[in-house]
Amino acid sequence: MAAPRDVFIVCNNVDDMGGLQRWAHHMARLLAARGDRVVLVGVTRGTDRHDHHRDGSYAVEVLHREWRLPVLAWRPETPRHRLDLPARVRDLRRSAAQRRGAARLSELFAAARPGAVVIVAQVWAMEWVRLADTRGLRVVGMSHESYAATRRSSRYRRVKELYADVDRLLLLTAEDADAWARDGMSNADHVPNALHVRPKVHPTLDLPVVACVGRLSYEKGVDLLLEAWERAVAGRPGWRLHVYGAGPQEDELCAAAATAGLADSVEFRGVVDDVEDALVEASVFALPSRAEGFPMSVLEAMAYGLPSVAFDCAPGVRALIEDGRDGLLVPPGDTAAFAAALGRLMDDRDLRRSLGREARASVERFRPETVLARWDRLFDLLHSTLPARDEAVPEEAVPGQAPLGRAGEGALPVPEGAVVSGPALEGDSF
Amino acid sequence: MRPDASVVVIAYNDARRLPRAVGSVLAQSLGGVETVIVDDASTDGTGEVADRLAAAHPGRVRAVHLPSNSGGCGRPRNAGVERSDGRYVMFLDSDDVLDRHACLNLVSAAGETGADLVSGLCERIFLDRPEGARDRIKPWYPWLYRRSAVYGSLRERPDLLYDTLSTNKAYRREFLEENGLRFTERLHYEDLLFSAEAYLASGRTALIPHRVYHWLVRERAVAPSISNRRAELANFADRLEIHRRIDMLFALRGAYELQRVKDAKFVNHDLLLYLRELRDRDPAYRARFLDLAAGYLAELDPRVFERANPMPAIAAFLVREGDHAGALAAAEYDRGKRPELRAPLVERDGRIFWGGLPPADSPGGPLAVRARIPLPGGAGRRVLDVTDFGFHQRPLKEMRPANTVTRLEMRGGVVHMAGHVLNPLGRVPAGAALSATLEFFDRRRPGRKQRAKARIEHRGGRLAWRAAFEPRRRIRPFGFVDPVWDVRLRVRAGAEEMITCPGDGAGSPPLAGVALPVRPRLTRLAGDRLRSYVTEGGHLAFLLEGGLPWGRPARAAVLRAAGTPTGREAWRRVRRLHRSARHLLTSRSTKARVFNRVLSRLPVRAGQVVFECHLGARYADNPKYIYRELRRSGGPFRAVWSYASSPKGFPSDAVLVKRGSWAYYLALARARFWVDNQGFPDGLRKRRETTYIQTWHGSAYKRMGIDQPRLKCGPEAERARLQRMVDRFDCFLVRSEHDVATLVRGLGVRSELLAAGYPRNDPLVGGLDGDPELAAEVAELRRSLGLGDGRRAVLYAPTFRTGPGGRPVRRMDPPIDPAVFARELGDEMVLLVRPHYLCTTRLPPSARAVMRDVGAVPDVTPLLLLADALVTDHSSIMFDYALLDRPIVLHLPDEPTLGAGYFDLERHAPGPITRTEEELVAALAGLDAAGAAHAGRRRAFARRFGEHDRGTAARTVVERYFSGGGRRGGTA
Repeated sequence: MAAPRDVFIVCNNVDDMGGLQRWAHHMARLLAARGDRVVLVGVTRGTDRHDHHRDGSYAVEVLHREWRLPVLAWRPETPRHRLDLPARVRDLRRSAAQRRGAARLSELFAAARPGAVVIVAQVWAMEWVRLADTRGLRVVGMSHESYAATRRSSRYRRVKELYADVDRLLLLTAEDADAWARDGMSNADHVPNALHVRPKVHPTLDLPVVACVGRLSYEKGVDLLLEAWERAVAGRPGWRLHVYGAGPQEDELCAAAATAGLADSVEFRGVVDDVEDALVEASVFALPSRAEGFPMSVLEAMAYGLPSVAFDCAPGVRALIEDGRDGLLVPPGDTAAFAAALGRLMDDRDLRRSLGREARASVERFRPETVLARWDRLFDLLHSTLPARDEAVPEEAVPGQAPLGRAGEGALPVPEGAVVSGPALEGDSF
Repeated sequence: MRPDASVVVIAYNDARRLPRAVGSVLAQSLGGVETVIVDDASTDGTGEVADRLAAAHPGRVRAVHLPSNSGGCGRPRNAGVERSDGRYVMFLDSDDVLDRHACLNLVSAAGETGADLVSGLCERIFLDRPEGARDRIKPWYPWLYRRSAVYGSLRERPDLLYDTLSTNKAYRREFLEENGLRFTERLHYEDLLFSAEAYLASGRTALIPHRVYHWLVRERAVAPSISNRRAELANFADRLEIHRRIDMLFALRGAYELQRVKDAKFVNHDLLLYLRELRDRDPAYRARFLDLAAGYLAELDPRVFERANPMPAIAAFLVREGDHAGALAAAEYDRGKRPELRAPLVERDGRIFWGGLPPADSPGGPLAVRARIPLPGGAGRRVLDVTDFGFHQRPLKEMRPANTVTRLEMRGGVVHMAGHVLNPLGRVPAGAALSATLEFFDRRRPGRKQRAKARIEHRGGRLAWRAAFEPRRRIRPFGFVDPVWDVRLRVRAGAEEMITCPGDGAGSPPLAGVALPVRPRLTRLAGDRLRSYVTEGGHLAFLLEGGLPWGRPARAAVLRAAGTPTGREAWRRVRRLHRSARHLLTSRSTKARVFNRVLSRLPVRAGQVVFECHLGARYADNPKYIYRELRRSGGPFRAVWSYASSPKGFPSDAVLVKRGSWAYYLALARARFWVDNQGFPDGLRKRRETTYIQTWHGSAYKRMGIDQPRLKCGPEAERARLQRMVDRFDCFLVRSEHDVATLVRGLGVRSELLAAGYPRNDPLVGGLDGDPELAAEVAELRRSLGLGDGRRAVLYAPTFRTGPGGRPVRRMDPPIDPAVFARELGDEMVLLVRPHYLCTTRLPPSARAVMRDVGAVPDVTPLLLLADALVTDHSSIMFDYALLDRPIVLHLPDEPTLGAGYFDLERHAPGPITRTEEELVAALAGLDAAGAAHAGRRRAFARRFGEHDRGTAARTVVERYFSGGGRRGGTA
């Protein structure tokens, strides 16, 4: 294994109850467990605090106790916008606050040993990292959603601007990395998320239950699942659909299920604390999402050996499920095909077994060790150096890393001074 | 431990740019990269620069000096390979740069895939074009680099042979050593051979879509680099020699399939590059070049002409056959969006051939007499057949025949111009009314046209034109801002129009250097004459020149002022202001805002009805029949019809407005009624006083609205948008309960449903007796299609197919081969081919006797009335035609797509279903028998889907909404 490194993981916040935060803490734990010194940095505090099984093996820092200033930088587009004085003042205050936060980051970075890496998990946090002093470190930017989803949102422009100069832009799937590379981001690469459950019990695949775990919001598509369920359950009495999760569409969906006469076969079971409880009593997993990044719920279901049915809506879904081998994929939005796929699995126990078996084998690709090995290879390449040809080249041992946002290609890199080494992290950084 | 990668930078007399190239290697995000500079015995101090770079970066940069100049890229690259240590080797030329992540991407892909050879995207950057211009950056064969891929051998992806650069790749060192891969040192284009050898030897080749190499191109460079010095014949001879060696290599390995891919690439790419430059070369060069090329082409497997793209294949074939004019015309044909047709065409045996002289079936034909090499039997016919380009049927406005200038001179303040335009296949008939206008326009603002009249007439198979005018009065440049002027000749022939570009050609006098006196509006200092020149594409153009003593310094001063940072900034601001002002005044969102806030507060015009059909595409469908009924009823109303591109074919007694224009929005804002079959622009809030009658355009088999998977999985905003548009309806016409269960539900219609049937179907139910106008229209259509000979008319009207990208397939072919149709059914039937309005069809001239393209007929109802039978797929036309109770055949060759409909088409089919061409021929041959057998099903079908079609739909609509002075509210 590589020598222990200093790794900084910078997120918008580290204590909300979201998938990203869960990923960040899991990653920090994995790295710390093998000896890396990890600092998890949140730009602000989250609104609903959650501890994510924090175990003290890594430090946690927050740059701003709260962020009341505008979330996004001010972009005046017309001459009239430019005259908006209050907006200008707000933006100045925002920049000043950002600089304070970045100074705090610089302090943290200055304490790092050679070979350190900064992982910027979200593009908003990159605004701070960009302002901080990252000399001697390598900066890796991440986007945890599909290219198509970013393309549709305001993040697209920010990803292209803020991540243009990072040493690596990591996506979750190879297909997304290719899409960004085609779009001109030549630093695009991919590392999948690591599996974060270790199943001790497995479902028998005999109970007549289909499970769906996710937020009850439009993009998770539970309405489409109900539509498909109406067809699938017809002629298959006894089968039940367990929907776990809460969200803005909860009431609407309950009402829709009742109107469609599904009240008997559909159960809304609310938020589940341990996903194991939900998965072991199911035989089929359904993912009716309209958009996805890298669906961790499918990864979990596969680890438990459940066959999944999903809309082929994003590269992340295709990266996990190979249609007909370890799950079933149907064209996006085709609820009839979704129903047919569900029906196939509900009718055929052997098919459930074989797909489930393949699924368990398939998620081995995402075992923490495998994923960490990929990270390590990346870190090694980023920090690789030339072998000393003779004794007279000490300064070149750590190649100079110009500050981000410098002039473009063609400029000779700025010669780099002594490598910074500072005191170890303070004890009060939790 | 060795470096991860070595980059071999070769340089010859390039001291200025070498540091930039080396800098791009030093700035790599991969740390372990060494640079080896190989100086090919330069004489301008490049060697010293290399030494200085090496001294400044000890251990990272090394300089190697060749003792004597090698004259190429091969030896320096080989020397670099020998003198470097990296696990992977890459090459960089001193005038180009690497992307910052090139090494990291290539090395990491190699490590991950275990490839011998990894290749990334190369981008050509045209440094002479302004920063941010769209054509500044051109990727090199981007279709090869769409996604990451790994190939076990070249046979898995022979197209790799298109990318013959050696520089955008990383090679595993052991791979180079084991296979003894080195560049050849005596020939140019060593890349081609090296790449072919490397691809062939590679046990695993990986491709990444990342940009790795910036090929910096300076078009106005003093000494073009080797690869751009195509002007030298020796250069081309080298290229051929390299190709011969590659051929040998493939032959040795028995790789015949690869050989053919490479041959096709030679025709599609290499040869074309040279042919397109041939226009500017002197005759001796041209002759020698064509000899060399013909020699090599004669060695190739003749199948290459069928494999290569059609026009390059024609060019290569004609080079081989010695028809130089035809070859050059073909080489230049597929340039740009609207290529110029420079070769004559000929029709023979129902096919169209390129080059004027009909190719012979066998040796000894007219072409073979001229050519030195005998023709292979029939091959020429297949290669030169350009029927599929549709020159015989495309509208003239889509064609651009060559226009050769034969006279251009100044006489006493008057310019005399003359020339002739090709008349391909006699498309402009001798009797057509001809007129022409010369248009001069500023190249940067093509909208600013200055016109001069021209006379045009038929002469000897061509259209001869001449013009004489005073340029001082006709052409008024501004000065300074419009230095370049282009000229076009717009020719009107009958109802059609075409635009031609006058230019150089056989029989042209020297066209350059004629000065037309002009008076710029700004000041005479900007110039006082337009001097003619010939563009690279061979067209006539003019440059504004100064004649006054201080015109030259004045212009220089203006240019200098404009070139300063302040000047550039000011100019940029002016342009931006201009753009934003134009956007503000003409954009759709502005118009929608003004519509909602201002226009819809204007008083409603009593009785104003705005009609629109398929977003203004044509005067047809339900809105047409409502309009006709309204006109017949004689009520006081003011009809406004919207048209999308041309008002041709729309009723002359209505007010016509262009869709999207201010007049259109004003008409909609003040209208009492909107009548439409598809949708008025989104974002317009319909005022309460306006009644929106949505007629829709057909019953549904395919899923509609939110029943479509696309909308189901799409974002919420898209559903909201649909709902917003649909909620404007005040009335929705339905033909049956089926419509209520499908269309109404899928679209989310919440308005009044009028169960009247479709107005367009009234004549199908009630016949033509009460409608002399429509009867005349049908009779005229029958006459113009030449259907009076007693044969039966069969209408083929399928819907569009969805292509791989989810987009409609543009091209629609007849379901039966014309020759087969003529043989089997031609005596009894004529096939009317009607492509969906998103598609076009191409019928060869040989089909003329038995098939007609009726895609241009605006209204389908008269076609239905005169058709004796219908062949369709799952198009909604079957629901309408069923009302006529005439035979219907459903031709469904691609059955799997059918699962997605609202009902089981096979179970409810109104006639026989066919899957293949033979089945369809058989079904049409037995039409009467099958017609009778299916009569019951057909009637049931008509009853089910057209239950409300009683022949009175138009009257019902008019009575419900328009009688009573138009004062009643729609939703009341």
